[in-house]
Amino acid sequence: MTTETSLKRATEILAPFSKGNANPETNRLDVDIEASDLPAATSALMRNQWGYLSAITPTDLGKEMNKLEVIYHFCEGAAITSLRIHLPREDQPDIPSISDQIPVASFFERELGEMLGVHVVGTPDSSRLFLPDDWPDRVYPLREDFSVEQAAPVVPRATLPEIGRVGNKFTVPIGPQHPALKEPGHFEFSVDGEIITGARMRLGYVHRGIEKATEKRNWIQNLYLLERICGICSHTHTSAYAMGVEKLAQVEVPRRAQAIREIIAGLERIHSHLLWLGVAAHEAGFDTLFMYSWRDRETVMDLLETLTGNRVNYSIIVLGGVKHDIAAEHSRSIHTALDYLEERIRYYLHIVTTDASFLQRTRGIGTMTLEEARHFGALGPTARASGLERDVRIDAPYGAYHYFPVSLITGENGDLEARFEVRMKELLVTCFTIRTLVDNLPPGELAVRFPRKIPAGETISRVEAPRGEAFYYIKSGGGESPLRIKIRTPSLCNWTSVLNKAVGHQLADVPMLIAGMDPCFSCNDRMITVRRKNDLQTFSWSQIREYGIRKYAAVRELK
Amino acid sequence: MNVHQNYVNNLMGKITTWARVNSPWAIHFNSGSCNGCDIEILATLTPRYDIERFGIKLRGSPRHADVLICTGPVTRQARERLLRTYEQMPEPKFVVAVGSCGISGGVFQGCYNIVGHIDEVLPVDAYIPGCPPRPEAIIDGIVKLLAHLQNGTRPEPIKFVPQEQV
Repeated sequence: MTTETSLKRATEILAPFSKGNANPETNRLDVDIEASDLPAATSALMRNQWGYLSAITPTDLGKEMNKLEVIYHFCEGAAITSLRIHLPREDQPDIPSISDQIPVASFFERELGEMLGVHVVGTPDSSRLFLPDDWPDRVYPLREDFSVEQAAPVVPRATLPEIGRVGNKFTVPIGPQHPALKEPGHFEFSVDGEIITGARMRLGYVHRGIEKATEKRNWIQNLYLLERICGICSHTHTSAYAMGVEKLAQVEVPRRAQAIREIIAGLERIHSHLLWLGVAAHEAGFDTLFMYSWRDRETVMDLLETLTGNRVNYSIIVLGGVKHDIAAEHSRSIHTALDYLEERIRYYLHIVTTDASFLQRTRGIGTMTLEEARHFGALGPTARASGLERDVRIDAPYGAYHYFPVSLITGENGDLEARFEVRMKELLVTCFTIRTLVDNLPPGELAVRFPRKIPAGETISRVEAPRGEAFYYIKSGGGESPLRIKIRTPSLCNWTSVLNKAVGHQLADVPMLIAGMDPCFSCNDRMITVRRKNDLQTFSWSQIREYGIRKYAAVRELK
Repeated sequence: MNVHQNYVNNLMGKITTWARVNSPWAIHFNSGSCNGCDIEILATLTPRYDIERFGIKLRGSPRHADVLICTGPVTRQARERLLRTYEQMPEPKFVVAVGSCGISGGVFQGCYNIVGHIDEVLPVDAYIPGCPPRPEAIIDGIVKLLAHLQNGTRPEPIKFVPQEQV
């Protein structure tokens, strides 16, 4: 289906609710609706199977307009439909929840509540999403008049996780500092014996407030700030940001620069997947594979260093192009490195699909069907392992992917084994793409002149990160810094699926399940909770301590 | 008797220093980092860099650790956990701040959820600059810390001075 027919279909579906339509870009449809129509409009889209919810953008339009704006972005292929809702700019205006229809919306709605001060009616969980526990009430960082002084810490409400017990059921808190986690996140699993009956999660330990910080920096400074959202997929963030800003400035990036960007993106995908393979193998107790894959990953790191000068935050992108060229001697070393890597990747593919003891940890674990993947809004390799054909490089080609298409890799079983297989096969495709790009580098400039001020407007750019679709909404007011940048990273969407699928598994499978989706906490930059029906009687730490003292006093008396 | 006691104490002191310098166990805490430093720390464990040849081992529990390797600026939510991790470590303990953010706040200076850099929260013994520092630099920093342990001295305290106050 082409983008035009997709958008036409969306216009028809949304016609009963529309208060005004616009086509800001060829692939976008903007529909103004009333807040009360939101659940009906969403269910109309879902009933007609139009796309998936990609992000919700909360914005404060400021004192002059005296309005809050909430935009619901749905994507189908390259087409993006945005439901635009305006709310009165007061404390806690009401907006209905849609998380009963789309589970992943629950995260976005909690963000909406705490960052913009909107009251989401009927959302299953409205507790803190990613602001700290000692954050004062009624202070919203995304409001225009927010200042850091307003957010002076108040006395923490809950500093320690609660431990609960009913009969044989316990809550096991894991993290934020835990041997199985390489990054801080906090999980609470309620278990019956060894079997998980519910999962809950709190992040926010690495929430730095980057979205707000972008508004205080100019367009060029933001490039370097956004690169540091995540040290693993830094190039994804810069390229998504640069693509959006270039669209707003109506600057055409030279073809050669586009191709170089995709080469780096490919190398980043290889390094990220090999890193993930190692960490996931380590969680399964297969440390040999961890050491092997990290040893081979150094080959990619060397290449990245040769091409960009940096091992981690490459900063090869400038607005309007790239910094460094790829010369003939570079392409030779790329080919040599890829020869070695392809051989190793084939070997790893063989290992993860045949090694008997490893398969016991992956085959049939965390199985997610195609319908479930669609329902939970999974993205990236996690979704593709379930057979869901969702890849921005193919659905909505950007940059060099117009001229150098990649092939789609999907799995069937949707279990951990399939996720290993999909990622390894994806690497082979990536190697092929890099070779093609390097051999057919278009001639031309590396970068074009770029204005300091960006014309007013808003745009959306989507990039396929190693973990799935990264979504950027960029709004410019015509000045030297952006009005609003909304970032939605793939890990956020994948948590729903993983935490829901954890139920019924053994506690020992948890590290593997979490590693299986390749979570990136710094990318998330926000925190999440999945609510399960949880009929636990909860104790605070001090209560459980008192309980222990009482119990042992009673035992002593018995003796 | 007293002389004998002194001799034993000296000997025990020498043995513990020898043991500490040859097998410092480390714990890694990310208090708001972008992951860049964390993957480079992890890379030091792997065959290319192999930090275990210095006897350094990354441990999961703070109660087993001598060295706390911190990355990132300290976020408000992570601050308390960072302090708790530090308090759980047995004496003597050492803190290494890895990366520009940990040293000065880096690009995240002024963000609303950032408390500050690591030495505003914990006493830091060694700073490893870089965004992120290369694995070689991380190894070098830790080995320099070990050299000080060998001499029985703490590294000289360095106070971070913001640019405008210089």
